[in-house]
Amino acid sequence: MSSSHSPPETVLAASGPRRSRFSHFLVQNVGLALVVALLIACIILYCVLYLVTQHRLPGGFELTSTLNNTMPLAFAGIAQSLVVLTRGIDLSVGGVIDLTNAMAALTLNGGPVQTTLWTAAILGVGVLCGLLNGVLVAVGRLQPILVTLATLSIFQGIAIKVLPQPGGAVPAGFTNVLANPNWPVSLLYIPLIGLIWAVFRRTRLGVSVFAIGNDAMAASSHGISVKRTVILAYMLGGFASACGGLILAATSTAGDATTGNTYTLTSIVAAVLGGVSLFGGRGSGLGAVFGAFVTTMVVNILFFAHIDPLYQTFYEGLFLLAAVVAANVIGQIVRRRR
Amino acid sequence: MSASIIRQWLPRDRRRILYAFLAAIILFAIGEAVRPGFASLDGIRAILVVASFVGLVAAGQTFVILIGGIDLSVPWVLNAASILMVTSSLGQDARAIPALALTLGVGALIGAVNGAGIALLGIPAVVMTLAMNGIMQGLTLGLSGGMTCTSCGAYAPPVIQAAVHQGLLGVPFVLWIWIVVLIAVSFLLAMTRFGRATYTVGNNARASHLAGINVSGITILLYALSGFFSAMAGIMLVGFGGQAALGMGDPYLFQSIAAVVIGGVYILGGRGNYLGSVAGAISLTVLVSVLLAFNMPDYGRSIVYGVVILALLLLYGREEDSA
Repeated sequence: MSSSHSPPETVLAASGPRRSRFSHFLVQNVGLALVVALLIACIILYCVLYLVTQHRLPGGFELTSTLNNTMPLAFAGIAQSLVVLTRGIDLSVGGVIDLTNAMAALTLNGGPVQTTLWTAAILGVGVLCGLLNGVLVAVGRLQPILVTLATLSIFQGIAIKVLPQPGGAVPAGFTNVLANPNWPVSLLYIPLIGLIWAVFRRTRLGVSVFAIGNDAMAASSHGISVKRTVILAYMLGGFASACGGLILAATSTAGDATTGNTYTLTSIVAAVLGGVSLFGGRGSGLGAVFGAFVTTMVVNILFFAHIDPLYQTFYEGLFLLAAVVAANVIGQIVRRRR
Repeated sequence: MSASIIRQWLPRDRRRILYAFLAAIILFAIGEAVRPGFASLDGIRAILVVASFVGLVAAGQTFVILIGGIDLSVPWVLNAASILMVTSSLGQDARAIPALALTLGVGALIGAVNGAGIALLGIPAVVMTLAMNGIMQGLTLGLSGGMTCTSCGAYAPPVIQAAVHQGLLGVPFVLWIWIVVLIAVSFLLAMTRFGRATYTVGNNARASHLAGINVSGITILLYALSGFFSAMAGIMLVGFGGQAALGMGDPYLFQSIAAVVIGGVYILGGRGNYLGSVAGAISLTVLVSVLLAFNMPDYGRSIVYGVVILALLLLYGREEDSA
């Protein structure tokens, strides 16, 4: 009502900053926007291929299995992003997943109370692994890639000690909660992760993580404790990896001390596809989740396109390069037009 | 007084190489104490031959780490090279030389593609070489039909096998090759324009570019060298084991990085040399052999390996405190 009284200049002035705020948001989240676009394109291509080969659209079963298969990688991607944002890299993600997965298979066989307690303990182990990495990086003043290379070896060793042979069993209730095989319950995790990330991004810690990723020296001179922030980022990363290990145990309903190894490198792929800059300070955990889904969709597409599975990694590699180059080009165009 | 003289004659980089060699000698002594004969001539020879495979890969890894890069494509470039070697030579000495040239050439070419992606397309080294590892894995598995092709089971030509198992003056040829590589790489890095430019780019790529150094060209060449040395290690490994197998390159990624870093090459580039990586490769291989001599199970070796790398890094791999 009052707008009808206001002169046109005011309307223009009011819409001016709004538009620039939107463009600011887009530039800030260009990586996230790109990965969402990529994911939608992948899903459409997948549905078309599915329709052509199976003569129907993918249904609830396909949705549920895709979700459950991707969630461990999604959490590994979040773990990697948290560390990469501080301008680090975490090669021990696979080791933490090995260890927590092995522990889950060994300990989760009691009643609900026992299972809950052990779940908390396993998450605690993940946090401790991250603490070790963080302290060695921040206080030990060692390069992240070297620290996590060494701790990867240590965590893998402990995992094999915990569970020498693949096996163990995970109770059905645990699986139904974390990776329900009948209903796409895991779909709820994605908005939840988005919400948690949005909150984290605005906390003191979240701001500090992004600040030291952009310029540790400047952040330090603005009163941010670099050491504390780095250690906490690695601890949160360890927590996210442990979540991945638990969900992996839930989906496979058993444990294996070596299946987690692959997540070290695939978590980097998920983060990079999700728009997380390896030079730190740019990206989001939600992007890494979408990046994880893109990798799964690419595998699904290759399957329904009847590509020889032996060539799978060949196409994945080409796809990764194409995506990174395209994101570079588009990112540059968006920033230049602004 | 004497401390300052030592410091003058042994700057930090040289001290690190010395530490790495000292660690190897101490480990040999421990091995000898646990299992007499460990540090006999035969024992040392056997360990050095195994170390030479890590050392050859580490030569390439040294080149790219010196400019702050990294080569994660080592496992499947090495594996592809080993399979290409046996399938193109079919175990015949007459075909050994062309097969050798082909394999080394393909290795260098793949490395050059890595370098081009990094230097010309601006792809981060981690992403480029990680993707290349996947591409080579897919190509190797696909073209060999998962190692079911008829020529995949061929043996390495006797010449190549002899290069690893026979020797001159009691030293296997592969170690002579390693010594030649050590001298050539050290000369290249220390005495040539190309080598000095490598250190300059590692210290500050932008300043090097402004100073008229062809940064892109050097980056491509260094990654090509890394591919070349991965292929060379693949050839030697196939000579050592006789046949190629899937997954034979997997251990060499992390081992080569660890060897380079323990030898005092700075992971962010610009400092270090190949003699250090050689020392790192030897000390790591002796460490694994000592743990085996202790009859330590798999998991124990994995843990101790990680702890020792951390301990060595904490001893001398720390950054200056900037905060």
